[in-house]
Amino acid sequence: MRIVVTGMGIVSPIGASVGQFWNAAINGNNGVDRIQCFYASNNRSRIAGEIKDFDPKSFLSNKQIEQTDRFSQLAIHAANQAIADAGGLECYEPRRLAVSLGSGMGGFATFESSADRKFRNRSIPPFTVPRTMANSAAAWIATLHGLKGANLTCSTACSSGGNAIGMGLDLLRADRADAVITGGAEACVLPLTIAGFEALYALSTGFNDDPQHASRPFAKGRDGFVMGEGAGILVLEKEDMARQRGATIYARLAGYGCACDATHIVAPDIDGQVAAMEAAIQDAGITPDMVDYINAHATSTPLGDVVETNAIKQLFGNHAKEIIISATKSMIGHTIGASAAIGSIAAIMSLQTGIIHPTINLDEADLECDLNYAPNTALTKSMNTVLCNAFGFGGNNVSLVFSTPII
Amino acid sequence: MNTENIETKVIEFIASKVEDADTSSITATSEFEELGLDSMDRVQLLFDAEETFGVTFETDEVKDFHCVKDIIDYINNHQSSSSPENS
Repeated sequence: MRIVVTGMGIVSPIGASVGQFWNAAINGNNGVDRIQCFYASNNRSRIAGEIKDFDPKSFLSNKQIEQTDRFSQLAIHAANQAIADAGGLECYEPRRLAVSLGSGMGGFATFESSADRKFRNRSIPPFTVPRTMANSAAAWIATLHGLKGANLTCSTACSSGGNAIGMGLDLLRADRADAVITGGAEACVLPLTIAGFEALYALSTGFNDDPQHASRPFAKGRDGFVMGEGAGILVLEKEDMARQRGATIYARLAGYGCACDATHIVAPDIDGQVAAMEAAIQDAGITPDMVDYINAHATSTPLGDVVETNAIKQLFGNHAKEIIISATKSMIGHTIGASAAIGSIAAIMSLQTGIIHPTINLDEADLECDLNYAPNTALTKSMNTVLCNAFGFGGNNVSLVFSTPII
Repeated sequence: MNTENIETKVIEFIASKVEDADTSSITATSEFEELGLDSMDRVQLLFDAEETFGVTFETDEVKDFHCVKDIIDYINNHQSSSSPENS
């Protein structure tokens, strides 16, 4: 059974629509800046990829805003776009319309603010729990659009969105749904989450006065990831049904692979990454030499970018040097549970347009990162098959393969 | 704030929170149900009222609230002399 992508929506630090995002990405625009949403002087990492001027009032009532965390609001906004983009989903039975969403931290902003109130012996907002729970974004998308099928939420840290998309693929292949709204959302540019990743020495701290150069995957001098926020949503359908209703088909979601390192709770492991990419390629029924482009996980940590480079070299052999790789996070930071969904949208746009967005801030590559990462300037290439990686704490590794729809 | 002021302020406050009703017709005797406020809306309303009027609603006392006047009376009886937090 072929599964295709028929709708896309995005909210990111460089654009709040697919068109805006893609135009900014291929021009190498930078969405990283000094943190504005809270006073960050007490944090060691004081920069982030924030979504500025986001106004939920444009699509939610005051009451709905009170009842939703920012991560749900971002997810709803992206889902609204994707569902409108797909158009015509009302032809399906509501019980056959599913949601599969990923988020690493869920409604952490609500958790943090309510905990702060409680510790100061003040009453907490009555919607603290329904705003905080990880499945609130999926539930709101379903409620607002009448999607009465399976409603799933996956939390596998930074690979959450990738697993969620894979779960969506599985739902369709198992005939448990006719269409799936899937992707990821995250909004944790917050004092506690920043402090938590700082404590692990995972964040960039050396570019607070030069935020534009902080997120620099594969580059010399990188010193950790930059926190980002956003949401990316895809609409998946069975190809025959999508064609029958005359939907626009952006790409085929051809393969999904996931694997756990089972070695360390936070350190990356080459074997797990290779296994996930290999499984996705096998699932797609292709061979490694058919992959034209990889949207890399590439968070800009000293260790992670080298391990991913080595995993790609191990799996693809000589073909690794033929593949173009790029890192969306160089422009928007690491959007945690949304990153795989946003990376997937970038990969699909590459298939659609024949353009690969650059990895910015890559003037001089790390000697151990010696592949073609599309440094600083967009590249053009005819592509049939692309791969998107997402790796997360917990030893989670996810790869997705998208291919051009076969007419 | 004197009693009359509190009634005016509470009605204005509730009018700002009610989205699907004719807010100009809200009076002290308006029932929550007729304003379209379900049980969760009422809980949120009381939370917001705590912030606005600087009072703390005790769970046992508010469970029987059914109209605007219940909030007005409660605030009249419990509001401290200190300034409200957010007003």
